[in-house]
Amino acid sequence: MPVDAAEPRRILARSPRRPAEAAGGRHAQKEATRTRVVDAARELFDTQGYQGTTIREIARHAGVSVGSVFTCYASKGEILSEVMEGRLAGFYAELDRVVPHLRGSTADRLRSIYAIFFAVEEPGTKLFLSHIAAAYDWTLPPGAKPYGRNERIRELLAETIAKGIAAGDVDPNADLEGFVELLIAAYAWTYQMVVTDGADAKTMSETMDRQIGLIADGFRPRAS
Amino acid sequence: MNMFTQPRSVARAGDEKDGPSVDGMKHISPIQVAGETPVKMPTRRALAKQQTRAKVLAAARRLFSEFGYEGATIRDIAAAAGMSTGAVFANFSDKSDLFREIMASDMSSLADTMREAAGRGRGVEDCLQKMFAAGYAFYKSQLPLARAAFSVSWAPQDGPVLRSAPQVQILHDLIAEQLTLGVQRGELGQEAEIKLRTQMLFEAYLSNYPQAIFEGWSLDALQARSRDQIRILLAGARRG
Repeated sequence: MPVDAAEPRRILARSPRRPAEAAGGRHAQKEATRTRVVDAARELFDTQGYQGTTIREIARHAGVSVGSVFTCYASKGEILSEVMEGRLAGFYAELDRVVPHLRGSTADRLRSIYAIFFAVEEPGTKLFLSHIAAAYDWTLPPGAKPYGRNERIRELLAETIAKGIAAGDVDPNADLEGFVELLIAAYAWTYQMVVTDGADAKTMSETMDRQIGLIADGFRPRAS
Repeated sequence: MNMFTQPRSVARAGDEKDGPSVDGMKHISPIQVAGETPVKMPTRRALAKQQTRAKVLAAARRLFSEFGYEGATIRDIAAAAGMSTGAVFANFSDKSDLFREIMASDMSSLADTMREAAGRGRGVEDCLQKMFAAGYAFYKSQLPLARAAFSVSWAPQDGPVLRSAPQVQILHDLIAEQLTLGVQRGELGQEAEIKLRTQMLFEAYLSNYPQAIFEGWSLDALQARSRDQIRILLAGARRG
């Protein structure tokens, strides 16, 4: 059995004086390891990037053995996926709070949503890019949700455009999925500007605003 | 046995991509000392070097397709090519150099294919459609390599290098050329925002690859989606 920093607690959890809690304790132990691994990984990914971080370093930083990391996660890609899930949870909460109150044209409502995207993600830009890269990598487990296949974001964008049909500034025959796909493609590219041009959130927002305008031209109702 | 096979010291001399340069030579081959004509020597050596490079590239292509960019190591590639890691490094500076070389040659062929397809179209929308359709057909048989390429293109370090490759710029230029022709023919207005539209069209083209890679979309499905995207992205630039 590997001896690691978390070992004393595991022994405590299996103490014969508390047999009823043994199973629950072991579960709690594993959860605690997961939390420590994800916290350590988040810090290392932020400071030295995803590619530059090894599982061994994550284990050392979390104070657990490499073996314990692998009992919780199959690969580095899976840890990244979990780190990103955590980030996105805060982001969704912000969206849920703001989106129902958005007013104006469909293009403007989309612009506001993307302004939130950029503001929330600016601190972790490189990590976000790694997250997209990992989507194509062989190490990502089937359960992980890479960028672009996130149902919640897709639904939110589709709903926002659909609302425009009722408001009259979106063609009722518009292929919602197609527009969502274009928005995601435009957004992802804009994100690359951080690495290629050192763009900040403001520059990215402005570029995205122009692209949304251009896409909105495509779903405007046909004058007949 | 190949008549062009040279001793390793000779094959290594001159690491320039365009063939060996006499100035940069660090090793003097026995043949040279014997006084073989200076014209013939580099040619033989260039051929041997070319063959080594081709062997490494073929092995790398196979391994990147099978294990992804991260999963394939120089050591594995060397073993698959039947040579030492040193011999690989004599020809390529690192794994990303090797990968860029594969992508560069693929994208040159891709650009030719796309240019030819665009020539068969009528009008800006049709030309772009034919161009993208040709691109999907080109990569349909090597989606695992495309998947590796996408992975690299998003990596914070290697991504910008791959994306700023001259071959990628050629693909951009092809799209921009079609838009410019559309403006000249009066199909699109003068305010067509060609630069931004080109970028968006290119990204839209790329954005359908994940459907092919992960969802098994057919060529027809890819073409239908891309046709809609082109139509949407041109809508605001149309005249009248």
